[in-house]
Amino acid sequence: MAVIEQGNRLSVVWIIPLIALLIGGWLAYKTISEQGPAITITFQTAEGLQAGKTKIKYKNVELGHVKTISLNKDLSQVVVSAELTRGTEKYLTNQTRFWVVRAHVAADQVSDIGTLFSGAYIGIDPVSTGKPTQNFVGLERPPAVTADTPGRHFVLQAKSLGSLNVGSPVFFRKIKVGQVVEESLSDDGETATIQVFIRAPHDQKVLKNSRFWNAGGIDFTIDASGIKVNTESIITLMLGGISFDIPHTEQRGKIADENQIFMLYESRDNINKKVFQKRIRWLVHFDGSVRGLIPGAPVEFLGLKIGKVVDVRMEYQPKEREFRIPVVLEIEPERIISGDNIPHEDQRRKLMNELVRRGLRAQLKSGNVLTGQLFVEIAIHPQATPAEIDWESHDYPALPTIPQPLEGITNSVAQILTRLQKIPFEQIGKDLGATAKGAKQLVHSDELRASIRALEATLNETQQTMRSIHQMADYLERHPEAILKGKQ
Amino acid sequence: MTPPVTAAKQGLISCHCCALVSPNPGGKGHPPAACPRCGATLHTRKTNSLARTWSLLIAAFIFYIPANILPIMTSTTLIHTQSDTILSGVIYLIDTGNWPIAAVIFFASVMIPVIKLIVLTGLLVSVHRRSAWKPRERTRLYRITEAIGRWSMIDVYVVTILVALVHLGAIAQVKAGLGAVFFAAVVVISMLAARTFDPRLIWDQQELPNE
Repeated sequence: MAVIEQGNRLSVVWIIPLIALLIGGWLAYKTISEQGPAITITFQTAEGLQAGKTKIKYKNVELGHVKTISLNKDLSQVVVSAELTRGTEKYLTNQTRFWVVRAHVAADQVSDIGTLFSGAYIGIDPVSTGKPTQNFVGLERPPAVTADTPGRHFVLQAKSLGSLNVGSPVFFRKIKVGQVVEESLSDDGETATIQVFIRAPHDQKVLKNSRFWNAGGIDFTIDASGIKVNTESIITLMLGGISFDIPHTEQRGKIADENQIFMLYESRDNINKKVFQKRIRWLVHFDGSVRGLIPGAPVEFLGLKIGKVVDVRMEYQPKEREFRIPVVLEIEPERIISGDNIPHEDQRRKLMNELVRRGLRAQLKSGNVLTGQLFVEIAIHPQATPAEIDWESHDYPALPTIPQPLEGITNSVAQILTRLQKIPFEQIGKDLGATAKGAKQLVHSDELRASIRALEATLNETQQTMRSIHQMADYLERHPEAILKGKQ
Repeated sequence: MTPPVTAAKQGLISCHCCALVSPNPGGKGHPPAACPRCGATLHTRKTNSLARTWSLLIAAFIFYIPANILPIMTSTTLIHTQSDTILSGVIYLIDTGNWPIAAVIFFASVMIPVIKLIVLTGLLVSVHRRSAWKPRERTRLYRITEAIGRWSMIDVYVVTILVALVHLGAIAQVKAGLGAVFFAAVVVISMLAARTFDPRLIWDQQELPNE
């Protein structure tokens, strides 16, 4: 009879599976409780990223890693799913940014070379204020400033970006105080919007009336006062840059607000120019050659620039069968009269008519002898032929003109030449010839010789007479009584 | 054919240590006797065989999960850190064309432990249900299981040797992972389970119909 021996009580050996259960349970618990939040990040490319390996780091501390990398449904983007460590939930908001950190070599910066060895990693800029979210869109380039850098943003508007791009430095008195963080083109393509970030404490130096200008490259001007070369630094030569300051003519104002909009000027000099709002356009017709007159040439009155030439055209007058050159001028009346005193339309007409009656004319003058550039001068010429403003012509009212000074000289010279032509040089020549001939005859004639001999005799007699008188004068001097008593 | 005579029926016990056959002093209730020659405790069957085998088997099952999930080896090179579990190592070897090694590792680290655990479970269940199914084959299975058990340690030896040999500082380094510990535990525990199982139990049920 076989007996299967079995203990009645629970064998001690059951401790082993119990321990196994405890260990397994503890492992499972540890894994599950240490699991952090799972997120997805979309990128344009997965270059440098590896599923299961690429880490997410903040200040070089590992905060998570990439689990899987895949493409989205229409293959347009890379979807990276990642798991972060516990405790990072409160930093996953819609303001938090992710980007891939790869080795970066550029003109002003060499960074993250270590990633060549260790592999790229994903950087995070955690921001705890914002709406919590689990899905993010990754940036293609590292952001210029992370959210924790103290400072402020400002917005600049410019006609063109010049040589600026993200990362271009911003200077104040030649110290780098910030950089361009974002650039975009407006919807109508007319203006470029640049967002700059200025670090604290320099952001306090941006005032409400500060002016920003494009300081890139070299400022090189030759003008009447000499040659000027100006540059911010070697960096701006290559990368471009922006500077700001208040114009000479203004006092320090209040500190600007965050995200205040400024205009970006082309150069340092431009910021000191007054900006005028009102512009009036005039037409002038010049008959002669306008070679040397380019759009942008100044219009001057009493030596001050009051506007500029906007356009130089040509038109053919079929009636008179001649060519005319209408030039469009743009005048800023605020340069002459302050804004409040500008007269209204009718008064303006009356004023202009009166001035023209007194002799106000436009005239082309030579500006620069070297370059041959011309400018338009408006002045009062009392002797000008009477003329009137043509208020109804084409697009703009037409000011009467007088010809160029050079034209005047040419005219005078022509006049002198015509007069010279009128002189009868031939006749004069003939007369002179006849006179000479007669004179010659006279000189060689006998009468002349006889006259000369007679003259000679007369001269001798006169000499003797003079001698006698001289002697008599001497005697009289010695013997004054001789006049009465006679010679003794 | 007459059933063979069993020692238990005769009231005899064979000592498991020196194999001396000596009379069994009593049945249930008596304390276990000692062998007259070598003094080892005499048992008709291995003590508590089923309970012990079940408990060890369950522990082996539990440990088998982390053994496969946790990495058994982490290799670090200058540019690259790689953690491998048993299965991912096998796949990596297949990918790089090392078929023979992959086959060896797969057989030793995946197939053998699984086979062992399944066979032992099957044997235990069959004994509990007093099944009469092919006792000779079952015994053969048991013998195979016990014989091949130790070969699962191949994978653990591979990891140990790699860790000991690849010590090139920053250029290359191999570290054993936690999965290796659990895998070794699985192998050891399943070997113990095979030892605590008494194959004579397979044959015990044959006696009953004859009672």
